Amino acid sequence: MLSNTGNFLLIINIFLSSLIIFKSLNCLKINDNLIFKNIYQISLLQSTLVLICFFTLVAAFIVSDFSLITVYQNSHSLKPVFYKISGTWGNHEGSLLLWVIILTIFSFLFLIYNNNHPKNYRLYTLIIQNILILGFLIFIIFNSNPFSSISPLPKEGLGLNPILQDPALAIHPPLLYVGFVGSSIYFSAAIASMIANYSGKFFARSIKSWVLISWTFQTLGILVGSIWAYYELGWGGFWFWDPVENASLLPWFAMTALLHSLLVLEKRDTLYFWSIILCLLTFTLSVMGTFLVRSGILNSVHTFANDPSRGIYILIFLSLMIFASIYFLFTKYKPTNDLINSNSKETFILINNWFMMFYLVTVLLGTLYPIFTDAISNNKISVGPPFYNSVIIPVVIAFLFFMAIGPQTKWIKNKFLNFKSLIAILGGAITINLAIIHFFKSYSLISNLIIISSLFLISSSFFDILKKKKSSFPRIISHLSFGFLILFIGLNHNFSVEKDFNLKLGETKKIDDYEFALLDLKLNQETNYKAVVGELKVSNLATKEKRILNPEIRIYDNPQTLTYEASIQTNFFRDYYLTMSNIDRSEYYNIKFQQKPLMIWIWISVIFLSLGGFLSLFRNAKNN
Amino acid sequence: MRLKIIYIIFFFNLNLSIYSNEPSFESTIHKNLRCLVCQGQSIADSNSDFALTLKMVVKDLIEQGKTEDEIYNFLSDKYGDWILYKPKLNVENFLLWFLPYLILLIGGLIILYIIRKKGKKT
Repeated sequence: MLSNTGNFLLIINIFLSSLIIFKSLNCLKINDNLIFKNIYQISLLQSTLVLICFFTLVAAFIVSDFSLITVYQNSHSLKPVFYKISGTWGNHEGSLLLWVIILTIFSFLFLIYNNNHPKNYRLYTLIIQNILILGFLIFIIFNSNPFSSISPLPKEGLGLNPILQDPALAIHPPLLYVGFVGSSIYFSAAIASMIANYSGKFFARSIKSWVLISWTFQTLGILVGSIWAYYELGWGGFWFWDPVENASLLPWFAMTALLHSLLVLEKRDTLYFWSIILCLLTFTLSVMGTFLVRSGILNSVHTFANDPSRGIYILIFLSLMIFASIYFLFTKYKPTNDLINSNSKETFILINNWFMMFYLVTVLLGTLYPIFTDAISNNKISVGPPFYNSVIIPVVIAFLFFMAIGPQTKWIKNKFLNFKSLIAILGGAITINLAIIHFFKSYSLISNLIIISSLFLISSSFFDILKKKKSSFPRIISHLSFGFLILFIGLNHNFSVEKDFNLKLGETKKIDDYEFALLDLKLNQETNYKAVVGELKVSNLATKEKRILNPEIRIYDNPQTLTYEASIQTNFFRDYYLTMSNIDRSEYYNIKFQQKPLMIWIWISVIFLSLGGFLSLFRNAKNN
Repeated sequence: MRLKIIYIIFFFNLNLSIYSNEPSFESTIHKNLRCLVCQGQSIADSNSDFALTLKMVVKDLIEQGKTEDEIYNFLSDKYGDWILYKPKLNVENFLLWFLPYLILLIGGLIILYIIRKKGKKT
């Protein structure tokens, strides 16, 4: 029954999207500035039906309707309800439905919230957005239909991969999708802007809020994914430069660049085509990321179960998007006079874009290069953390300096403000860094520079809070927290302690300043898994700090999987991070212990980073 | 301004070579080796038999007095380049290592060009 309802709604939606395109084209022929009322109505109906369609699938997951292949493959009747629901988007088919929801709702909201912009521009945006919606609906129906039924009816589902049964991973996809699928709306708007010749600052104003929304959610989405990787993968790291992570970072770089270039476009009416390119690039990178993740072309920690036919469809879709983007850019491009003074705010915003493009190219290249070498010379190479760290980190230092200096400049004018104070702040940053070396231990030159440059950014942002008027508050929050983010990552990296050893029950081991004792092992029976829970006492002999940690080895029933759950003890100064794994044919357990300073502050910095985005969004909404 | 930018680019490129001496020699090597039987893990992060064996091999090679590069060469001859997370700097990977910096250079030149154009007109 649910299968029929779902399929029916999908088909109705294809019809509605086509109808919107058709009506919009008709409406464009009429020479006034009014949009037909029924276009609004159909758009509202479309959004409503897509939501109902999605809730149909959620319902199928809740009642465990195993007549749907998707439910059968990704759920189990004994799973907690929360994970039955999150299982809806924890798989390829369901997550595509989430795609379409965001495409549709953004389409509707963009239509109703932009009524002070000309009709042509809004209608073209609507048409292009609906072409995207159609593309995905067709993909869903013919290739990845979540409502496909299975017969004979299976008695029980196969279950959701246990590492996906997790609160962070339940909210990670929706956040991330608002981010990168949300960017579709300014992809459509950018093309519409070129067709309708609606350029310059008005265009910037119409998309600014949407860029802010997507940027904020993308940031949060990446954060949640990263937190998940930190505690779930059990390796103690939070960023692995894994292709899937890179796929979420690439649109983020493009969005961040766009966010800044829009400021120039809004204030100075220049950089129009560059901003258009960034709009197109952001969504193109999002679709490309989806292609890489879903087609199984890349080897990654967390690829979806993959199937080449999906890849081919997304690849065709992607090529069409790129082709259309390039076509419109070439036919509509007019050389503009982008005049900029060397020490003006515009220059520094360009510098932001310059660095963002560098990061983007580096990560893109690192992600795609192995595919090329494999295709060209059959030589498989890996591009991992050591590559990215050595290419990107040195450049980040210069970036942080510019990020601190940039806001001290004025629009148009060729003049620095507060030059002397900046020098003083730099002196302060170097002093603090020397203090860190003195009180802790020395570390490499590059780490020193990272710490100095981030301290420089932090203190100059603090200085701004004291000095400046309220208008730049969101920017200061974001810049400040970015400075803190890099600082904490730097300190965390430099002062992490790792110990790797074997221990048996009742044994105590002393390594350097630490003492470890495996006090107890318990067997717990939970609803959907069995767990061996260890009780480990970790004593830091230097600081007299004692903590009890409880790492687990879990055996899930459906599907049968063995996972190692890290035990993490967090406080404001440091995390203790410990995993325990069994060693075959031995009574010993392998223990990996890490002491990670200031971990929680990394997460808090990113939350504040996105908070800056939210604040800016509210300010922008109030001003319009 | 231009000098400043060029100076910064060169200065920070030189620092690349200094970066590698940070954590202990052995763990740097472990982090650069892919655990071939795992999904996207380095042998430092893995407990698989493969990772354990490879750690022993690395320890052996260090004791024999081999340098970092010699160890990488030895292992990539045996298992292929797939095992190294930091691709070798050779003809094939030349673009991977230098294209980012080339982009950085070109981007810088474009910005300088835009600023200079203005300078001429006023």
